Amino acid sequence: MNDELIASDAPFTDAQRVILGALADTLVPASDDGVMPSAKDLDLAGYLARNASDFLAELAEVLARFDDGFVSEPLDARCERMQAFSEAEPESFGRLLAEVYGCYYQDARVLEGIGVGAGPPFPRGNTVEPGDLSLLDPVLANPTNWRRDVS
Amino acid sequence: MASRDRDPVDVLIIGAGASGAAVAWSLAETRMRIVCMEQGDWTNPSEYPTNFPDWEQRLTERDHIDPNVRARPTDYPINNDDSPISVVNFNGVGGGTILYAAHFPRLHPSDFRVKSLDGVADDWPVDYDALEPYFAENDRMMGVSGLAGDPSYPPKQPPLPPLPLGRVGETVARGFNELGWHWWPADSAIISRPYEGRDQCKNLGPCTSGCAQGAKSSTDITYWPVALRSGVELRTRCRVREITVNADGMADGVWYYDEDGEEHHQRAEVVVLACNGVGTPRILLNSTSPEFPDGLANSSGLVGKNLMFHPVGFVQGLFEERLDSHMGPQGCCMLSNEFYETDPERDFVRGYMMQIVRGGVWPWSTAMLGARSGTIPWGPGHHEAFARRFDHTANIGILCEDLPEEHNTVTLDPELVDSDGIPAPKITYTLSENSRAMLDHGVARAKEAMLAAGAIEVTGGGPARQAGWHLLGTARMGDDPETSVVNSWGRSHDVKNLFIVDGSIFVTSGGVNPTSTIQALALYIADTMKKNLANLFD
Ligand SMILES: Cc1cc2nc3c(=O)[nH]c(=O)nc-3n(C[C@H](O)[C@H](O)[C@H](O)COP(=O)(O)OP(=O)(O)OC[C@H]3O[C@@H](n4cnc5c(N)ncnc54)[C@H](O)[C@@H]3O)c2cc1C
Ligand code: SF4
Repeated sequence: MNDELIASDAPFTDAQRVILGALADTLVPASDDGVMPSAKDLDLAGYLARNASDFLAELAEVLARFDDGFVSEPLDARCERMQAFSEAEPESFGRLLAEVYGCYYQDARVLEGIGVGAGPPFPRGNTVEPGDLSLLDPVLANPTNWRRDVS
Repeated sequence: MASRDRDPVDVLIIGAGASGAAVAWSLAETRMRIVCMEQGDWTNPSEYPTNFPDWEQRLTERDHIDPNVRARPTDYPINNDDSPISVVNFNGVGGGTILYAAHFPRLHPSDFRVKSLDGVADDWPVDYDALEPYFAENDRMMGVSGLAGDPSYPPKQPPLPPLPLGRVGETVARGFNELGWHWWPADSAIISRPYEGRDQCKNLGPCTSGCAQGAKSSTDITYWPVALRSGVELRTRCRVREITVNADGMADGVWYYDEDGEEHHQRAEVVVLACNGVGTPRILLNSTSPEFPDGLANSSGLVGKNLMFHPVGFVQGLFEERLDSHMGPQGCCMLSNEFYETDPERDFVRGYMMQIVRGGVWPWSTAMLGARSGTIPWGPGHHEAFARRFDHTANIGILCEDLPEEHNTVTLDPELVDSDGIPAPKITYTLSENSRAMLDHGVARAKEAMLAAGAIEVTGGGPARQAGWHLLGTARMGDDPETSVVNSWGRSHDVKNLFIVDGSIFVTSGGVNPTSTIQALALYIADTMKKNLANLFD
């Protein structure tokens, strides 16, 4: 993580960042095999500062609500709290989830982990199997002719 | 301050999209002074989203397909409140082809004869045979990949070999074979091999965000470079407000705004409208005068009426095996015309095409879709559920023929205006019972196909909302001035030096993506103009 970048980019206090990390980790914890990182290990604060300025005030209120020992609760307990939050405030929860997923699924390490390859699609490109055109044999054997009675 | 240009041009084309580019290129050989005015800019392929790590984010904002979300200074707002389908477009050199999926089927011969064959709507004043040479010419100019021999069409030979079917195509094809249904690799305006100085498709995936590779045949990189070299002048950031007429009722130019909002008048001998099925009626309805109080070229009262979209349904299949769904041209894989023609056994007339789609399900959007549908939970279990779905899906789009109905309209919004104060278009559209029945039939059949292909879960429905890609019918062709706006070669019945070449002139919509036919028609009209130059206004 690049502290300098976050410090200059993100309008969060240290305490807020810890709560944000715990919320992110609750939504997307690391995979058991360690291939997929936890969302708390990504630059979520920087992402939010860059892409979700209209959400920051609302987010600050959400973070304040979880400033009560949430960060040190075990994952099960945090999930219960998150579930209650999602039911009580579906809009705030939905926005938070969208931003966490947005940060997560555009991160190079995550994209490598799901087999897409790091970095933007261009200029990397992909190889797609040509496909077996002999699959057309039944189509040709049983033609659906176009309607010829047109004139 | 308003200014009057002294220098008249021979031909003024409004709109530099699919049809405007084709007509400009074709007319260039006449050596007339041709100017095209386009409200948008040139796009820079190195600024397309797929160049950037946050490309999915960009698709939700400044590169969105909906102009109301994108809201660039070059866009105009559209009021879709009274329509279940909202208009999507692109305003700039290339028009909609910048963002289109480039699925490039032609209308079928029967599409031009629906009245005679099925007793609905109207026949066109042109037919498939008349357009055939122009379809072929357009395929060459654009660069089209495909496979000859499709038994659901008259013979045709795409200039380039087909794009790869990939695992999505192969898997779904097996399902269609199981059911004994027609399918064929799609004709695609995407080059599968290097062509005319452009490099071939690299299977990036999100073609509807603009092709950074330059493999997708948008008119900014196909027709326009050739037209410009042939002497056509293209002026960007010129937004036309209205077409003006002289005392004889002939068009004599346009009022337009430049990039700084300054108003100018440009005189012209001939005006050609190519602003698409929404932009064109908007200009005509805004061009009122004592001779044309209801809008220009509107003695029939049909300008802005009969709007057709192609209502679209989508069915998604989830498969055990990995299908690499995120890669390869998203909209161009294969199609089926099994249910294209009228069958009296069904509870609807005419039919639909099935378009097999591989993409549209990128990493972030997969997670979001999973959250909304409850199939991918957050928290523990997220990664396993995501891995089961991402790259494991195939989609079938059901593209329904939309029959013309006068109550489906483009009108001028009484309040909403663009940044130059020009009234915005308002869309009023209802889904007909025929379209509803067709959609339901198509969704059910597509689900059957997915199950036959081995899908373990199938979902779907329609009509999709942000799917107003195809904008047709709002200034229809015809031989009778009382029931049509332009004649069989795009000339206004009322104003003899005014031509329309975009999708507005479609009489019926057919059941396939329209751009190949829009461009073939534009080339046909340009050729007819050239043949009649000596007596163009008789
Ligand atoms: C996301 C998306 C996917 C699509 N996929 C497909 C597909 O797979 N296959 C297919 O066949 N079609 C597809 N389409 C539709 C296709 O883009 C259109 O059919 C085609 O571009 C229409 O051509 P046109 O010439 O009628 O208008 P356009 O290409 O829309 O061009 C109109 C031009 O006129 C300009 N203009 C409008 N008003 C003014 C004014 N007042 N002054 C100056 N300029 C003006 C606009 O800025 C625009 O550049 C898709 C469209 C979108 C948006
Ligand atoms: S898949 Fe091909 S056509 Fe589509 S964006 Fe990528 S390179 Fe371009």
